[in-house]
Amino acid sequence: MSKNVLILAEHDDQSLKAASLSAFGLGYRISVECEGTFQILVLGNNVGDVASEASGLAPTLVADSPKLEQPIADVHAKVIAQVIEKNQFDTIIAASSTYSKDVLSRACGIVGGAMASDVIGCEVKDGDLILERPLYAGSVTAKCRLLSDPKFLTVRASAFEPAEGVEAGTSTVEVDEASLPDRVEYHGVETKASARPDLTEAKIVVSGGRAFKTTEDFEGHVGALADALEAAAGSSRALVDAGITPNELQVGQTGKVVAPELYIALGLSGAVQHLAGMKNSKVIVAINKDAEAPIFEVSDYGIVGDVYKLVPELLDKVKATQT
Amino acid sequence: MKILVPTKRVPDTDQKIKVSSDGTGVQTNTLPFIINPFDAIALEEALRIQEGASDEVEVITVGIGNDEYEKELRAGLAMGADRAIHVSTDELLDPWNVSKVLKVIVEKEAPDLVLMGKQAVDDDSNQAGQFLAAQLDWPQATFISKIELADSKANVERETDLGIEKLSLNLPAVITADLRLNEPRYASLPNIMKAKKKPIDSIPLTDLGIEIEPKIEIISVEAPSSIRSCKKVETVDELLTLLRDEAKVL
Amino acid sequence: MTSADQSPVRGADVIIIGGGVAGLSTAWQLKKRGLSVLVIERQQLGNGSSGRAAGLLGQLRGTKAATKMLMDGLQVVYDLEKQTGLEIFVQTGSIRIAETEERSQEIRRLVDMGRSIRFPIVDLEIDKLQERLPYMKVDDIIDACFCPTDGHIQPAELVQAYVKAGRAEGVQYITNCRVEKILVEGGKGVGVQTAQGEFRADFIVNSTGPWSYYLADLSGTSLPTAAIGHYYLTTRPTDKVHVGKRSPAVRNRHHRIYSRPESGGLIVGMYEAEPDEYNIEDLPHDFDMSLMKAARDNYNVALLIHQAQQRFPWINERTPMTITSGIMTFTPDGKPFCGKLPDVEGLYHCAGFSGHGIVQSPAIGTIMSDLITRGETEYNISEIEADRYFELPELRDRVEVKARCADMYGRYYGQIEGQSS
Repeated sequence: MSKNVLILAEHDDQSLKAASLSAFGLGYRISVECEGTFQILVLGNNVGDVASEASGLAPTLVADSPKLEQPIADVHAKVIAQVIEKNQFDTIIAASSTYSKDVLSRACGIVGGAMASDVIGCEVKDGDLILERPLYAGSVTAKCRLLSDPKFLTVRASAFEPAEGVEAGTSTVEVDEASLPDRVEYHGVETKASARPDLTEAKIVVSGGRAFKTTEDFEGHVGALADALEAAAGSSRALVDAGITPNELQVGQTGKVVAPELYIALGLSGAVQHLAGMKNSKVIVAINKDAEAPIFEVSDYGIVGDVYKLVPELLDKVKATQT
Repeated sequence: MKILVPTKRVPDTDQKIKVSSDGTGVQTNTLPFIINPFDAIALEEALRIQEGASDEVEVITVGIGNDEYEKELRAGLAMGADRAIHVSTDELLDPWNVSKVLKVIVEKEAPDLVLMGKQAVDDDSNQAGQFLAAQLDWPQATFISKIELADSKANVERETDLGIEKLSLNLPAVITADLRLNEPRYASLPNIMKAKKKPIDSIPLTDLGIEIEPKIEIISVEAPSSIRSCKKVETVDELLTLLRDEAKVL
Repeated sequence: MTSADQSPVRGADVIIIGGGVAGLSTAWQLKKRGLSVLVIERQQLGNGSSGRAAGLLGQLRGTKAATKMLMDGLQVVYDLEKQTGLEIFVQTGSIRIAETEERSQEIRRLVDMGRSIRFPIVDLEIDKLQERLPYMKVDDIIDACFCPTDGHIQPAELVQAYVKAGRAEGVQYITNCRVEKILVEGGKGVGVQTAQGEFRADFIVNSTGPWSYYLADLSGTSLPTAAIGHYYLTTRPTDKVHVGKRSPAVRNRHHRIYSRPESGGLIVGMYEAEPDEYNIEDLPHDFDMSLMKAARDNYNVALLIHQAQQRFPWINERTPMTITSGIMTFTPDGKPFCGKLPDVEGLYHCAGFSGHGIVQSPAIGTIMSDLITRGETEYNISEIEADRYFELPELRDRVEVKARCADMYGRYYGQIEGQSS
């Protein structure tokens, strides 16, 4: 059964976001496997450059209008829904982001489609999409299928590879500016003071314990690794008590309970009230010079060694793979 | 003013979650159930709006589920909600059908604001609020970390990938709450007492005249083994390789 | 610590079931006397009540025997601190306050008792109280006394210290291994059956806290303990209220609450009149106490907040705080069962610490190892003998035991101490 796939691209007005390339990769492969078509949709104002880049991958629909300058769901979703209905797309894919969750979900609601969020795996089976996605705060993974068309997917970029696509052209989407709602005013966006994600929502948490004697030590090791991994930083109670870290960083029974995909415990012994706050993390790594530290009992991987030697090395190697 | 707070009853995901024996779901019979944390945050915010308003604000919670749901609805009343609506059904509804039910309730109650959690921690879809807004053709603001109502508008701050986004939207609107919006209260003793007398209006789902159309089917559920045995390695290189290739978390 | 499959040990002189402070302390003491010791713990060491405890140490108890145990225990803690380098005991001193004549007399009796055994205890001037505890309401207090050598034991550090000291002596620990039952042959405990096979020993110690009666039942004997719920709140430090590390612990029996400093905030716990109760037999085998959470509208939590507010007016249901929910092991008279029962040789029970396990554990370890190695101890253990209810048939009835234990819990702060009823 052939599929007409639309990939909703995200951009920064100059170029496509890397995550969208992964979403495209999936869309392209689904369409090829189902012998269907694939197109990219770019929305915004003065998005010529982005459209041009996208057209290097696929036929690109361009909705270019001052009314689309700001990412207002009320407006964008309406245009996206119109594009879907006009072109009869049956599969719409975007990278999982605050934009796509906000906008694409609304578009799905407008057309009455079926949606799966945060997809981490996709298999085409007898013309059907078998989707894998996390449930219960990521403790389990489910295989599921959407039961009607059009199907909407937001996908985790890290789970899918980009694809080369084909060189194609662009076509203009007529934006009926007069019909667009005007109920939401945009007052700008401020980059956050702390770049670090919230402890309880971060995918990766890097935590430090008693091995760190000063705030500088903590920030230089735990903080630095957290930043390199775009992770949240956490701490044991001992450091909070000693005034080395603020109370908000405490992970544990009387602090925060976290269950990220990856919890890295550095120089942290794993006292029982700390374990209570992180033992359900999906993957736990510990680095501690005491081979019998209780943290190893709840860890999946560990190194028995000195954090002051190992963390700088870990930091360098993580940074190296990012460049 | 009327604020509607849809709430979902979910298992406490801070507990150990295990796959059911038939592999199609999770074992819930030994799990404690709670108000979805994001919905508790939404309810808390509604209560704060009520406390800070010069005019009267009515806070109504809505729950869709079986009879066991009364417990969590009563907890919402004990936090301070004025009344609760229980749409009773044994069926587990997906976000699309939840939004269809909520649409009927909204049309009945005509609230000025629907304030709900951004997602439920059992299915983590982050869709129901947006579906509802679309079906009502109301403006929406998702993942808010701040809200202030003034002159029939909601001024909000949203947590986005780019930073804190500021929006003003006309009411009525559908707004979904993110983690940093507030820290929900516990029920006070006087409010637990008062809650016993507050009404929970129970309506059978079948009375709403909605056609339930499932949009998603779960085929199977898997969880990683709960028995951890620590693989100790000697070098950073070995660790990174394992985290990348085996655990696939980096 | 190893899993059962990797353990080279399939037995020892003594098997200790339950890796909480009671079992860990006993294990360490026994190993020091030369016996081989194996601790088998269902989850992680200290994961149960020990990990949830508030750890307040008020050495002056109703009897001299009890007071001596606590004072000796503190000396053991000091030794552990030296040996392990951990800070276990935080000496904040403790204050008792009274708002009524009855409670004032309760304090007077305590002061007299303390002075008679030369325990450091002083009267406190009411008008100096506010200075000492700026975050506490003091205007309704009519009497107060101060014990400067009291404080609290940090439970996680105590667990860590017992394990470190135990390991240094050669105690073996197996974790993530559930004991399914105690094997009794010919009226003698000979070993345990676990999820990972059998282990044999000459002596078995049942130090499983809330699971103690359940394990006793499964092993063909009976122990009248019960699993009683307890809650305390821990506030987060704010600009308005920051509690100093050495701020004294407070016991406010009239309001049924106690408090102590914790990480810049305040722990306030309550011994309510009608506690929540748990049936261990209904809990799943992998029930994890460290993940327990109270429902947002739990009545006893609301009561705790309400009572805390009576003494600390800035606390209410919206104060930034965490609620710790846990299970204590209570007995009909609030005192533990330490020793053998007449029906099974070689099986020693060590459970039922009724909210005082952390602080009693150091001395209990010595007492248990005395009993196991010599059959007797210098301590006066008449109040804590394991068989003191053995002859009473009504205390083999679970419903009766639960009711009496819950009642005892309620009377903890509820009754006026030292008053003839």
